[in-house]
Amino acid sequence: MEFFERFAIPHPDPMIYASMVAIVLVSIAIVAGLTYFKKWGYLWDEWLTTTDHKRIGIMYLISALIMLFRGGADAVMMRVQLSSPEMEFLNAQHYNEVFTTHGVVMIFFMAMPFVIGLMNYIVPLQIGARDVAFPRLNALSFWLFFAGAMLFNISFVIGGSPDAGWTNYFPLASNEFSQSVGVNYYMWALQISGIGTLMTGINFIVTIFRMRAPGMKLMKMPLFTWSALITNVIIVFAFPVLTVALLMGTFDRQFGTSFFATGNGGMDMYWANLFWVWGHPEVYILILPAFGIYSEIISTFSERNLYGYKSMVASMVLISLLSFFVWVHHFFTMGQGALTNSIFSITTMAIAIPTGIKIFNWLLTMWKGKIRFTVPMLYSVAFIPLFTVGGVTGVMLAMASADYQYHNTMFLVAHFHNTIIPGVVYAMLAGLTYWWPKMFGFILNERIGKWAFWFNVVGFVLAFFPMYITGLDGQARRMYTYSESTGFGPLNMLSFAGAGLMAIAFILIAYNIFYSIKNSPRNVGDDPWNARSLEWATHNPVPEYNFAITPEVNSSQALWDHKKKSHTLFKGKIDKIHMPNNSGIPIIMAGILFVFGFSFVFSIWPAVIIAAIAFFSCMLYSSFENDHGRYISAEEVKETEEKFGGAKK
Amino acid sequence: MKIDHSQPLEYSTHKNEMNILGFWIFLGAEIMLFATLFTSYFIYENRVGNGPSGAEIFEITPVLIETVVLLTSSFTIGLAINAMRLNRPKAMLWFLGITLILGATFLSVEIYEFVHYYHVGATLQTSAFTGILLTTLGTHGAHVTFGLFWGIAIFLQIKKHGLTPETANKSFNYSLYWHFLDVMWIFIFSFIYLKGMM
Amino acid sequence: MKELFPLKQVNGFVFSLLLTVVALSVYFMDMSFSLGMTILLVTAFIQAIVQFVLFMHAGETDDKRTIYTTLYYSALIALVTIFGSLLAMVWDM
Repeated sequence: MEFFERFAIPHPDPMIYASMVAIVLVSIAIVAGLTYFKKWGYLWDEWLTTTDHKRIGIMYLISALIMLFRGGADAVMMRVQLSSPEMEFLNAQHYNEVFTTHGVVMIFFMAMPFVIGLMNYIVPLQIGARDVAFPRLNALSFWLFFAGAMLFNISFVIGGSPDAGWTNYFPLASNEFSQSVGVNYYMWALQISGIGTLMTGINFIVTIFRMRAPGMKLMKMPLFTWSALITNVIIVFAFPVLTVALLMGTFDRQFGTSFFATGNGGMDMYWANLFWVWGHPEVYILILPAFGIYSEIISTFSERNLYGYKSMVASMVLISLLSFFVWVHHFFTMGQGALTNSIFSITTMAIAIPTGIKIFNWLLTMWKGKIRFTVPMLYSVAFIPLFTVGGVTGVMLAMASADYQYHNTMFLVAHFHNTIIPGVVYAMLAGLTYWWPKMFGFILNERIGKWAFWFNVVGFVLAFFPMYITGLDGQARRMYTYSESTGFGPLNMLSFAGAGLMAIAFILIAYNIFYSIKNSPRNVGDDPWNARSLEWATHNPVPEYNFAITPEVNSSQALWDHKKKSHTLFKGKIDKIHMPNNSGIPIIMAGILFVFGFSFVFSIWPAVIIAAIAFFSCMLYSSFENDHGRYISAEEVKETEEKFGGAKK
Repeated sequence: MKIDHSQPLEYSTHKNEMNILGFWIFLGAEIMLFATLFTSYFIYENRVGNGPSGAEIFEITPVLIETVVLLTSSFTIGLAINAMRLNRPKAMLWFLGITLILGATFLSVEIYEFVHYYHVGATLQTSAFTGILLTTLGTHGAHVTFGLFWGIAIFLQIKKHGLTPETANKSFNYSLYWHFLDVMWIFIFSFIYLKGMM
Repeated sequence: MKELFPLKQVNGFVFSLLLTVVALSVYFMDMSFSLGMTILLVTAFIQAIVQFVLFMHAGETDDKRTIYTTLYYSALIALVTIFGSLLAMVWDM
């Protein structure tokens, strides 16, 4: 019995027990459903072992949407707790756990997979490739992310959630102040999914450098692909820092080192330093693909070339470099001297310049354009002013001396939500809606989509703008309650109302998916938005080989040239096509790492060792395996093309 | 699979070229991994708490042996790739074998070194300094250990299949990995040991 | 036999041993900290370049630019991380 006691939750609560029951019931329902409808084979053959970048992309997107609701539920719980003074909905410990999981889930398991999912689906299509450079590695990346996400999500029912904030600062995250295994979960969940992300980074850099269609020079790539390239460069150089930080944190908690301790030579502040050396580039890992998506959408729905293509690319390159030069601005108040703060203050403000260039480029793209206000375009248009507010408050925070006033207040919370929600979340929703017909062959209902949009925008403004005011008045972040005499009550109630509207928006989006699956017309054609880039040049939905004939392009708007300047995209004739085989190895390896992580969290060493051996055996096995892929014959390709409505010109 | 015979075997297919480029980018990430460890080492270098300092526990002899052994192994893996390009699998396997033996020698000396640290009371838990010292050395040592197993796998595959585009490609990436570990060791040698003993 | 030991590789090896000997001078000879660090920095980076260029053939294919960019970029960010962290955590604390 003693062995099992460690799995108990340290801070039980009726809500957690209810979730436990719900998780068990849903799991049983899924297993029973799959068995009853005899779908196990289908699931295994078509999805779990797939190496097709499109299916992996869709699995990323589904995971991201599920995690959006998990993180959203956390957010609503926080807003309920703060809606009025002395509220007793959550206690202090539970509140700590909720804001921690909200942050981690939203950044690592919602925003990251959303970005990577869209990249997976779109980038190979935009560059005219058959797949990514390393399809099996791509599957492994996804399953590692998924294993990490699952490991993180079971923490609150087995052993306890992490409770030291998503930044996990020491000494708060040390054994002394965070006694449950929660922070161990944090370390291993992020470690496992982080390794997956790193491999995605390598994979996409090689894909974009080496698999572009003939004629697509670097400066002729669509902007989303450019943003993906830059993002993956940042991933490759930023994530190793996180790997080391997490390793050191694990050692501190489980092997008794004193890296982040306050005695014995340790330095707790160094965690903050390492975390943000990775953490600030991470911000740009999320926002740059969003910029890419907005560029595509704004150009498409304004029916104009993107204004200032070269400056767009240059500013992204500049941002990627600068993103590694600014991390100290996250802890201006930690005690380093004025010289350091000044340096990092200036580098931070410098980032506003390339970002500002991009804002003007989008505005000038719309200038005199024939604008169509579809749902993706609405999100993009709303993004520009809202994100600018977020950017300007960012410059305020960048001023080191003024930061002493803002630091750790709701002002900061308002600022970063103001960049992340209109920046990243709207971009993901816009991108999802925009590329939805590419993935599934029908358009999401525009009317419901617009309702969701308005709920989202109004809800966002109501929820987060009041925090600027309460923050300036001194409401600290991460405080689970406040007294009535502070006067924060009414504005927090307003935030709560805004959060409610946003919740309605996301429910509407979910409803829209169900509604459109049933009701949307399927005859939208291959190019429903009258778009410009290569991904719309193939069939809808996309056949597994993407393009029957490799396209030849001579600008960043290959399809537009094809439509307006009668440029021939597909020269040559249909030939056999080489495709990667499916493989069960990635999901098995990720499953083993899940067991490894779980056992490590609870220090069950025999299981850790067995899992490690099993993992390396899998690597050895795949080293000896000779998998040359397979060919789709020319006849088969022709048949498929006929089925999809004839070969493309 | 289209094979381009004008290229060395390891570059002969598009897939192979991508593997090598991907591996270079992976090495870029590895540079950052070690850079972070070095950053941490420099931060903790003088934070010895109640434990010993570097100058008190470092010994020049094992470190020198490790350095010369690893440098030589880096030389022999280079010769292995040279032999591979001359299409002399037998010579190549000899050089690869020597590299692996040198790698194992390096590892034995490093284990001896760790035992020494244990005996003089410098463990992971002693202080932040000894912790980061052993973590940095350990990460490098773990890379070498992984490299040994990888090298054995490649050795067996070449023995079985001869020099094919696949095995040549793997061997080339392996040589990159091994040279890279040597480079990282040079930095450890210079900025951990020599700087500490100066 | 001779072709198995090309001059380029042998010279590289001898050169790297020489650099090691030069670096060792900081241990065996009495010198100031800054002179010692200068010697170590120079020898270590030359060693790295010898390995990357001579032994690892970083510049032999069309991917030359990508590979060198990767190396420069990682070296730059590595240095920024090391010196920025030292500045914030040690020198200016």
